Amino acid sequence: MKIIMKMCSVIWFLVGNVAAQRRRQNAVTVGKERRESLVRAKRLCRVGTSADGEVSSDSDMMVDEEQSILEMQTSSAVEELKSAVAYQGKGAMQKRVNALRELRRLLSRFEFPPIETALKAGAIPVLVQCLAFGSPDEQLLEAAWCLTNIAAGKQEETKALLPALPLLIAHLGEKSSSPVAEQCAWALGNVAGEGEEFRNVLLSQGALPPLARMMLPNKGSTVRTAAWALSNLIKGPDPKPATELIKVDGLLDAILRHLKRADEELTTEVAWVVVYLSALSNVATSLLVKSGVLQLLVERLATSNSLQLLIPLSSPDLSAALLSRQEAAWVLSNIAAGSVEHKQLIHSSEALALLLHLLSTSPFDIKKEVAYVLGNLCVSPTKGEGKPKLIQEHLVSLVGRGCLSGFIDLVRSADIEAARLGLQFMELVLRGMPNDEGTKLVEREDGIDAMERFQFHENEDLRNMANGLVDKYFGEDYGLDE
Amino acid sequence: MAMEVTQVLLNAQSIDGTVRKHAEESLKQFQEQNLPSFLLSLSGELANDDKPVDSRKLAGLILKNALDAKEQHRKFELVQRWLSLDANVKTQIKTCLLNTLTSTVADARSTSSQVIAKVAGIELPQKQWPELIVSLLSNVHQLPAHVKQATLETLGYLCEEVSPDVVEQDHVNKILTAVVQGMNASEMNNDVRLAATRALYNALSFAQANFSNDMERDYIMRVVCEATQSAELKIRQAAFECLVSISSTYYEKLAPYMQDIYSITAKAVREDEEPVALQAIEFWSSICDEEIDILEEYGSDFTGNSDIPCFYFIKQALPALVPLLLEILLKQEEDQDQEEGAWNIAMAGGTCLGLVARTVGDDIVPLVIPFIEENIAKPDWRQREAATYAFGSILEGPSPDKLLHIVNVALSFMLSALTKDPNNHVKDTTAWTLGRIFEFLHGSTIGTPIITQANCQQIITVLLQSMKDTPNVAEKACGALYFLAQSYEDVGPSSPLTPFFQEIVQSLLTVTHREDAGESRLRTAAYETLNEVVRSSTDETAPMVLQLVPVIMMELHKTLEGQKLSSDEREKQGELQGLLCGCLQVIIQKLGSSEPTKYVFMQYADQIMGLFLRVFACRSATVHEEAMLAIGALAYAAGLDFAKYMPDFYKYLEMGLQNFEEYQVCAVTVGVVGDICRALEEKILPYCDGIMTQLLKDLSSNQLHRSVKPPIFSCFGDIALAIGENFEKYLMYAMPMLQSAADLSAHTANVDDDMTEYTNSLRNGILEAYSGIFQGFKNSPKTQLLIPYAPHILQFLDSMYMEKDMDELVMKTAIGLLGDLADTLGSNAGSLIQQSLTSKDFLNECLSSKDHMIKESAEWARLAINKAISV
Repeated sequence: MKIIMKMCSVIWFLVGNVAAQRRRQNAVTVGKERRESLVRAKRLCRVGTSADGEVSSDSDMMVDEEQSILEMQTSSAVEELKSAVAYQGKGAMQKRVNALRELRRLLSRFEFPPIETALKAGAIPVLVQCLAFGSPDEQLLEAAWCLTNIAAGKQEETKALLPALPLLIAHLGEKSSSPVAEQCAWALGNVAGEGEEFRNVLLSQGALPPLARMMLPNKGSTVRTAAWALSNLIKGPDPKPATELIKVDGLLDAILRHLKRADEELTTEVAWVVVYLSALSNVATSLLVKSGVLQLLVERLATSNSLQLLIPLSSPDLSAALLSRQEAAWVLSNIAAGSVEHKQLIHSSEALALLLHLLSTSPFDIKKEVAYVLGNLCVSPTKGEGKPKLIQEHLVSLVGRGCLSGFIDLVRSADIEAARLGLQFMELVLRGMPNDEGTKLVEREDGIDAMERFQFHENEDLRNMANGLVDKYFGEDYGLDE
Repeated sequence: MAMEVTQVLLNAQSIDGTVRKHAEESLKQFQEQNLPSFLLSLSGELANDDKPVDSRKLAGLILKNALDAKEQHRKFELVQRWLSLDANVKTQIKTCLLNTLTSTVADARSTSSQVIAKVAGIELPQKQWPELIVSLLSNVHQLPAHVKQATLETLGYLCEEVSPDVVEQDHVNKILTAVVQGMNASEMNNDVRLAATRALYNALSFAQANFSNDMERDYIMRVVCEATQSAELKIRQAAFECLVSISSTYYEKLAPYMQDIYSITAKAVREDEEPVALQAIEFWSSICDEEIDILEEYGSDFTGNSDIPCFYFIKQALPALVPLLLEILLKQEEDQDQEEGAWNIAMAGGTCLGLVARTVGDDIVPLVIPFIEENIAKPDWRQREAATYAFGSILEGPSPDKLLHIVNVALSFMLSALTKDPNNHVKDTTAWTLGRIFEFLHGSTIGTPIITQANCQQIITVLLQSMKDTPNVAEKACGALYFLAQSYEDVGPSSPLTPFFQEIVQSLLTVTHREDAGESRLRTAAYETLNEVVRSSTDETAPMVLQLVPVIMMELHKTLEGQKLSSDEREKQGELQGLLCGCLQVIIQKLGSSEPTKYVFMQYADQIMGLFLRVFACRSATVHEEAMLAIGALAYAAGLDFAKYMPDFYKYLEMGLQNFEEYQVCAVTVGVVGDICRALEEKILPYCDGIMTQLLKDLSSNQLHRSVKPPIFSCFGDIALAIGENFEKYLMYAMPMLQSAADLSAHTANVDDDMTEYTNSLRNGILEAYSGIFQGFKNSPKTQLLIPYAPHILQFLDSMYMEKDMDELVMKTAIGLLGDLADTLGSNAGSLIQQSLTSKDFLNECLSSKDHMIKESAEWARLAINKAISV
């Protein structure tokens, strides 16, 4: 006779026994999963390689095949997600997270992410469902990540994201965990980067205030992401968002605080925000100047001005630092393009010496930015067309401190923008230096030679500019006076 | 032909070891020299009323063992041996056996019943011994009571031994009639009635047709219910056992009887003796099991086409059932044993209450809450314990929303009870209940967290404090912490347990050092809880996990320093080493999962491996299973670097593969071979001759448990993937093995779920082996070596497809293999593939599968085939 007492259904058990069993089972499962993923990896990567050494003729087909497998995987991942979302039983959450993770993996791993397929398969509505309030963090995170990658696609693909925006914005709030908020900010940043109409939608849905508040604490990754998203959001051309942003309580202080930090990546993103603030909004620019942000940026330029930094881009570690200097310089240039008072401020600050030094010694990118600042310092804003009005005092002092050769170097560069800056400055010198000193200075620095390179240049604008200058100042009559 | 065996049989039971040994030798010799004569002698001994009862019993036992064995392969041999015996001999033996049933010696009758059932188990499926049932039943009514009892007992064993489909319905009817009549209240002899009731228990699975007939069913049910009222305890117990069995076998037929059954069971629960009361409770637990299964099937399948509808018996009985169960929760024993396997009526009541909660969900909550409120603070410990137990039992089933409020209220009460209650049972149950709260009501799927920053500190403090309590309470506290840690598994980058991590680990280590940690398996609980805490920890605490490595290593080192150990001490040492290796396994997995921690951890790798090797060296014949598992984890973390350990480790790997007896050890080792293949890739080549030899031996062994064979096939695949075309030299051995296993698994009569499951796992192993081999040879100039095997493989796939009994995993692996075959052989197999059913119907079926893994594999196969046939 059997004893029919179902010990298996006893709810008292010793944890050790059950746990050990689970642990062993886990080891078996892990082994199976690894075998599985190895086999899958081999199959998928094989698709790209041809067995019999046949070459290019069918390589397109291979790519197609790879793409079609990827697309197939993507639609089944979306289907899996749909069924996981519908499922309510035990382990539902894990099921959803696994499905989301798979989809996210597909959307992130490849050179051409299968966004279109995901959209066709109906990913957006189900992803939006996954963003429901009260969902566990991991689920929110994965869903937002998927949306981030979709938002990184083409414009029409980004458009599909519109229904998800309100929830993404909602999860930026203080109640969300920081990884979730960051991921949502990232997604929104991608959307904002897509164009003005998207920015307007986001702004009308109230994306700006919560993003701005994410700038306030000191958590590095959060601030960095929020700053990046904000710089996309306030890109304009409408200056209102920038003005709105600068007025957010505590934001200016936060910018100053973050700019002082050692984290170069972080200051880079924050610097971009300052760039757009100063580029777009006069209100913001005034507030920034008053707050001493200028001083800070200069300090940053100064402290980064180590010998190491002048070794052009040879070390990857430095490029991040250089970037930051570049952005800082661009902020200065925007300020320098502002009112005469702003310019005086820079001109009289210790920044000037530094800028001059940078013009002769820094890597090309920075040199260009610096040139722009210096050039701007010498002119005042004009209304409408016509040549900018000279601030002779600044010009004389700058040329006196030897900046002309730096600009003439730029004229010789292959970069059209840089060359234009150089030519424009040369024009200022020729036109504005007292006692016609300009022509002599330019000649002495081999400026004529530099300009003659444009005689037959393919860029009409530069060609006309250079030829015009040569004709006007060094024409047939030139030198006869002597 | 028969021989005098009485004295030898008696000697074989002598207390004098030499005599006994000698007798056993003689019996063995006799059996080997002349089996028919040996068996005849035994049956003659059993049948002879002049012989002493002890020699008769042993004769019967040896006969029984000559017909059946636990090990599958041995059983098969014995069946074949019996079938090939001379027919006359068999007839004589069977006659003896049947005659014995009329003996006045009860033990002889009973032994003979069992032997008859074994013979029937062999012969009836072969359509032999057709007269058995008729002759047993021929005049059962006129027989003397003791013969009637023996006949019914024989029928009972027979039904246990034989599958229902080999007994024709007419015979089934006759058996049931005889059995039910024997059970009837009019049967005055209790032995007969008991034998009949027990026989019915086994015969129930034969009664499918009879239970579909209302009249017959009514009659059987009436007789069973009457038997529950017998004056004889054993009859009542057996009758309730029948009811339990009926509840699961014939759930859908029970509706008309539920009212009566409720009254009967309630009365038994309240008034009858414990063995009967336990079965009465078991009836309700069994109904719960049925309804949970049915409702789960409803839930998983939106069409709701479960074979059996749910009658919601539990829901209907709820208002009466719950008070009954709550009542018996108060029947605890004073010195209730907390060890594993302890079982009493209060525990059964709680278990049943838990099942009821899982069956009805929210509805149970309002019925139990008043009981909890009423009793939780009473002076009598029984009331407090019962209230707590009731609370803990209903935590799984109802929706969290329904429970959250009371759990929030109860939590601080429980925490204080766990430290302050004077009674050990109450504390034990309280700690268990906390564990259930964390298991079911806390975690990332639950909206409102029960544990907040505010009370987390207190919870941890109380649990750690309770780990210093008596071993049973400390074990439950570990359990609670285990589930607490588990509930934070998915918490993300930052865990609320982080601030307490150090303290928790320290406390658990302290528990492992308690003098009494051997009781209630406390040490095991502490280590496994530590494992869970580590497993669910986040990056924040990675440095502390790293610090744990040398600590556990030191513990393991200490176990190796013992001098000469007694066998008892040796067993304890092995157990402790197992716990420590298990802990290292989890730590290695954890630290190996991210690059920075892996890098730091690997500084310990040499030392750890040294310890594992010493653990192996502690034993002579076998390897330590847990150490083996930990090495699998280490291999994965070490990757190619693991090669340096192979020269020392290899012999233990081989030893593990040779361990037929402890097949789990063999299975674990096979898994580790796979891990090492993935870690070392072609660097495993020097060891492959030895490994393959061992694996092939394992496969051809009859002794090895069958569950290890599918993983061995998969392991062929792992090896082939690692060494690629170097697998060439094993093809001539591995391929025939795979082929014959494939043939076997393609056409098996899947008699039951176990067999179906096994067949599918075997197929999966075979398919994985083929896939690994084909992928391994891909792009090799030796691809053509595989061409001869392709037709057979395609046939195998075709025949599986036609059998229509593949599970999803097998489908996925099968269609993937089709792709691998096409991919590797290319145009060489193009026409073969096109001819196969698999490449058309099966592929199309897979392409439209809802399972995205199957679909993906099918998509891959489609591309590979297109390429193969387009060239």
